[in-house]
Amino acid sequence: MSESTNRIMQVARHEYRAAVRSRALIILLAILVVATGFSVFIGATDYAAQLAEYDAYRAAAQAQGLTRIAPSPLAVLSLLRGAFEYLEIIGAIIAITLGYLSVSRERVSRTLPLLRSRPLTGTELAAGTFLGALAIFTTLIAATAVVGIVALGTIGNDWINPAQVLRLTLACVAALLYLSAFYCLGAIATAKAKMPANGLVIALGIWLLVVLVLPQIGDTLDADNQLPGGLFQALGLNHDGEIAVLTHFTGYEQVRTGIEEASLAKHFERFAFAMSDVKERYRPYGLPWLLNETRHDIGWLFAYAAVLFLGLRRTLTRQQPIPTGGNS
Amino acid sequence: MIGTIASQQSLLLRRQHVALVGLITMLAVTAIAGVLGWSSHHTIVRVFDQAVRLQAAAGQPAPPNPFLLKPNLSLLSNMVVYIPLIGALLALVVGHLSMVDDQSKGMGRLLFTRQVTRTQYALGKVLAATRFLALTLVGCGVVSIVALLAVNRTLSPSDLGRLTGFYVLSWSYLAVFVLVGILTALLTRRRSLALLSAIGVWLVITFVVPQFTSGLRPTQSLNPLTEPAGTSQAFFRVTQHAQPLSIVEQYKTAAGNILGTSPTSPTTETVLTIVPTLIAGFGLLVLVLWRIQRHDYARSASDE
Repeated sequence: MSESTNRIMQVARHEYRAAVRSRALIILLAILVVATGFSVFIGATDYAAQLAEYDAYRAAAQAQGLTRIAPSPLAVLSLLRGAFEYLEIIGAIIAITLGYLSVSRERVSRTLPLLRSRPLTGTELAAGTFLGALAIFTTLIAATAVVGIVALGTIGNDWINPAQVLRLTLACVAALLYLSAFYCLGAIATAKAKMPANGLVIALGIWLLVVLVLPQIGDTLDADNQLPGGLFQALGLNHDGEIAVLTHFTGYEQVRTGIEEASLAKHFERFAFAMSDVKERYRPYGLPWLLNETRHDIGWLFAYAAVLFLGLRRTLTRQQPIPTGGNS
Repeated sequence: MIGTIASQQSLLLRRQHVALVGLITMLAVTAIAGVLGWSSHHTIVRVFDQAVRLQAAAGQPAPPNPFLLKPNLSLLSNMVVYIPLIGALLALVVGHLSMVDDQSKGMGRLLFTRQVTRTQYALGKVLAATRFLALTLVGCGVVSIVALLAVNRTLSPSDLGRLTGFYVLSWSYLAVFVLVGILTALLTRRRSLALLSAIGVWLVITFVVPQFTSGLRPTQSLNPLTEPAGTSQAFFRVTQHAQPLSIVEQYKTAAGNILGTSPTSPTTETVLTIVPTLIAGFGLLVLVLWRIQRHDYARSASDE
C-alpha cells in the first residue's frame, strides 16, 4: 500500500469511528431504522395474506385440472418501496448531517490545523473522509437491506431469488451514490459557511428543494392530478382519449419532466423503483432492458456524485487552517 | 419585561440571515403555489377544450365543465403541503435560533443578573418567534390574495374569511414547531444536536406517524390530492383510532375543510381536528416553561 493510500485509509477509519460516536447521527439512524422496519413489516404482513390467497387459488385450480393458471400479480421486492422512500428522505438528511459533522468537528475541535500540519494533501483528506462516509452508508444500507430481506422471508413467507438479490444490490449501489452526493453537499456547505450551523441550514434548504419541492412540483403539474379522482376521468375520457389529448401537451410535459429531471431524488427513485418491481410496467422485463431504460438515471446519479466529490475536494484543498476554531 | 425580551429577540431575528432566508423562501413558495395554481387552471381549460373537440368529433355530448368541480381556493391546495414541509422547518429554525445564541454566547448568565424571571424570558422568546411567523404568514396571505385575484379575477368576502382562517390555522400549527425548536435547544448543549433532534421530531410527525395511522407512504405526503387512508388491513383498522394524534393529518384535514377543497364537513368536525394541534402547542409550552427553570445558564453551550 502506497504512503498516500495509507494516509487516505487512516482518515477514512477516523471518519468512521467519529461518526459512530456521534449522538446526532445515532438519533437519525434510529428514526430511519424504526421507520423502515415498520414500513417493511406492514407491507410484508399484507403480502403474506395476499400470497396465501393466491396459493389457495392455485391449489384449487390445479385440483380442478386447470392447465392455464394466472401468474401471481404480487412482486415481493416492491414491498421495499417504503424503505427506499425513507432512504430518499431521511437517508439524505443523515448524509448531510454526516458531511456537516465531519467538517465542523475538525473546525471546532481545532484539529484541522493539526491535520494540515501533517503531509496530507487536500485531495487525500477529501478522499479519506469520502471513503469513511461511504463505509458508513454501506453499513447502513446493507443493514436495511438484510432486515428487509429477512422480514420479507419470515413475515411475508417469500424469500427472494438470486436474480432479485442482484437487482436489490444494484438499487443499494444507487442509494450509496445518492447518499454520497448529499454527504458532499453537507460537507461543502459547512466548509464554505463562516458559521458551521448556517452551513447545515443551507444544505438542508437545498435538500428540501431537491428531495421534496421539485418532485412535488413535477407531480402537481401532471395534467391528470388537477382534480381529485383524476381530470380525465372527470371529463369522461378513457385511456385512448387521454393519449389523444396529451398529444397537444408535449411542450407542457417536457417542462414538467425537466423539473423532475433536476431532482437527484427523482433519479434515485426511478432507478430503485425499476429494480425493485415497484412500477408494474417494469415487471415483465429482464435486467439488461431495465438498465437500458434507466440509463439516464444511472448517468445522473454518477454525475451528481462525481461533481459534488470534485467540489468537496476543491473546497477542502482551498480550506485554510483556522487558528482560532469555528464559532457558530 | 416579556415585551422587552420579545422586542430584543425580534431585532436579532431580523438580523439573522438564516431567518431572513427562511422568510424569503416562504414568500417564494407561496408565489410558486400561486403559479402552480395558475398552471393548473390553464391546463384544465386547455384539456377541457381538447376534450370538447374530441367528444364532438365522436358525436358524443360535451363533458361537464371541470371548474364546477374545482373550488375557488383550490389554487392554494399546494400551500397545505408547503406549510407542514417548508413552514414547519422554518419554524424549527426560528425557535432554535431564538434560544441557542443566548446559550452559546453566554448571554444567559448576564441576562439573569437583571430583574427578569425565567418564565418571562421564555414567554418573551416564544412571543418573538411566533410573531415573526405571524408576519411571515401575513406576507404569504398577501401573495395568496394577489395570486387568487390574478387567476380567479375576484375574491368574495367568504373566500377572504376562509383564507384568513387557513393562515390562522397554519400559524397555530407552526407555533408547535417553534416550541419544538426551543425545547430541543433547552434539552441539549450542542447546537447541531439540538437542531437535528428537532428535525428528527419533524420527520416523525410529518412522515412516520401518518404511515403508522393511515398507511400513507412518505412520498404520498407530498401530494395535495392524497388517496383516502387504506383500512383494508387489520393493522390500520386498529391504528386509525390514533389518527387524532397525527397532527399533520389533522392540520391537512382542517385546512381542506377551511379552504373548501375537501368534501364539506360540519363545523364541529373541523374544530375537533384543530384541537390536537392546540393541545400539542399547550403541552409543549408547559414543557418549555418547566425545562427553562432547570436550565443551567452558568454553562455555555457548545458551538458545534
